[in-house]
Amino acid sequence: MAHAVISCLHANLAAVEAVLADIDQQGINTITCLGDLVGYGPQPNEVVELMRQRAIPTCQGCWDEDIIDGLNACECSYPSQLAERRGHLAHQWTDAEMTAENKRFLASLPTSLRRDKLLFVHGSPNSQHEYLLPDMNAFAALERVETAGAETLFCGHTHQPYVRELRGGSIRVRVQHNDSSSSEEQDMTLPMRRIVNAGSVGEPRHGNTQATYVIHDEATNDLTIREVSYDVAKTCQAIIDAGLPEVFAWRLSHGFEYAERADDASHVCER
Amino acid sequence: MSQTWLISGPPGCGKTSWILTTIRSHPGSCGYLRLSGLSEDGLEQGHDAGIDLAWLKDQCPQLQDLSKPDQQCADRIDDQLNLIELQQYRPPAHPGVDEIDPRISNQLKALQLQPDRALHFGREPELPEQDTLEFNRLEAWSVSLHDSVWDPNSLSSFWFELVNGAYGDVYRAKALMNLPDGRAFFCNWIVSQQGSQFLPLEVVEPPTGRPNRASELVVQGKALDGMGMQSTINDCLLSDAVLDMHQAPLREQQPDLSQAKR
Repeated sequence: MAHAVISCLHANLAAVEAVLADIDQQGINTITCLGDLVGYGPQPNEVVELMRQRAIPTCQGCWDEDIIDGLNACECSYPSQLAERRGHLAHQWTDAEMTAENKRFLASLPTSLRRDKLLFVHGSPNSQHEYLLPDMNAFAALERVETAGAETLFCGHTHQPYVRELRGGSIRVRVQHNDSSSSEEQDMTLPMRRIVNAGSVGEPRHGNTQATYVIHDEATNDLTIREVSYDVAKTCQAIIDAGLPEVFAWRLSHGFEYAERADDASHVCER
Repeated sequence: MSQTWLISGPPGCGKTSWILTTIRSHPGSCGYLRLSGLSEDGLEQGHDAGIDLAWLKDQCPQLQDLSKPDQQCADRIDDQLNLIELQQYRPPAHPGVDEIDPRISNQLKALQLQPDRALHFGREPELPEQDTLEFNRLEAWSVSLHDSVWDPNSLSSFWFELVNGAYGDVYRAKALMNLPDGRAFFCNWIVSQQGSQFLPLEVVEPPTGRPNRASELVVQGKALDGMGMQSTINDCLLSDAVLDMHQAPLREQQPDLSQAKR
């Protein structure tokens, strides 16, 4: 059975509708969302309500968390003063715009979802704010999947879709016995693990403006990264109509992030 | 025998770079003046506010500023080469100093300068022409950044957005920008070039507050969004408190400056 994984919708209704239509067209009924329903984009309520209406299992993203808990992430998660000011502006706008009911929905979201050996998170099993980049140290990447007890870890947050197979991993352990000065070494070979990043529906950053998501066929274990065109101009106009900074529309129309990506991608905010 | 040359051409054609190369290769002393150009029909002049002079003076500290009356006597120094820069969109009908626009001639006369040569980019073969563009319509927008210090990563983002069209169709942008560590950069971009130039100034100010040097951004293009640029710039400039936070560790590394905070 095939299922679809979507992430990082960022209040971009036109993109969400296009992706859901693409999923429906392929007859896929199981969808999992990895969070960041809101933030930067112009239609936070509409996107949350669509996800609620479709009853799509969703975990909480970093933006969803910040809207509930307030902006208390440390400053170093922003790469520049400009990005921080824009991020705060987008946060304040979203916070003011969202209904209490939709905020309650965001607050109710779990930080992870699990289905058998499949684990679904926004950033990493450690935090919604941690980036699992495709070039992350292989041992650290394997550790994230293995300690979470997953075979395949689905994540988002980076806005760059990828499938990473971690194979040939091994750990050498030296065991020192209490009652003897001798020690023995054991090699433990780890089975293949996978990290699958679903990219971003509402704020793509993979080189063009198309929304991305992932299809996983559980029978064959095949993974497909899908790119879906949507009406970018419609969202850009909605950004301007909403009174958000016009530069957000310009950046989206060029396939750039609304603000900028974090300088230290592996940084985890200390709250 | 001193020489005075009038170097004219459209925005971004390379006048200042050519002048710098000429100054460096001239064995004698040099003087420099940048004239306010004349706006033509639909072609607006960019307000320079001393960017070119500050850049050239940094690279060639002995350069004489011909706009200052007390340095005008330098015009009579033997072997001195005076270079006068003028933004001029279209070449005069004929070559030679007799064809200089009377309004320009009058500006020069007031400064007791009489050009011996008039060279226009796009006409004289001795001048490079790869960046000499013909413009039909051009708006200009500028902002004084005196006393301003940029957050370095924010400057990088703003410049990227600027030259890629976030604030209108920008054909030309140049600026002198201050960074918190005391360095300043001459930022230079023209639409005919692939990338921007970011040239560091030789003079580095001490990390003891806001630098006291010319700083300005000049943008030329079409449908320029001045409010958008100003709004983004405001978000990029450092407050006194944040500037001090950047500079404090640098002062610690230079003990003689640790007590010199302004």
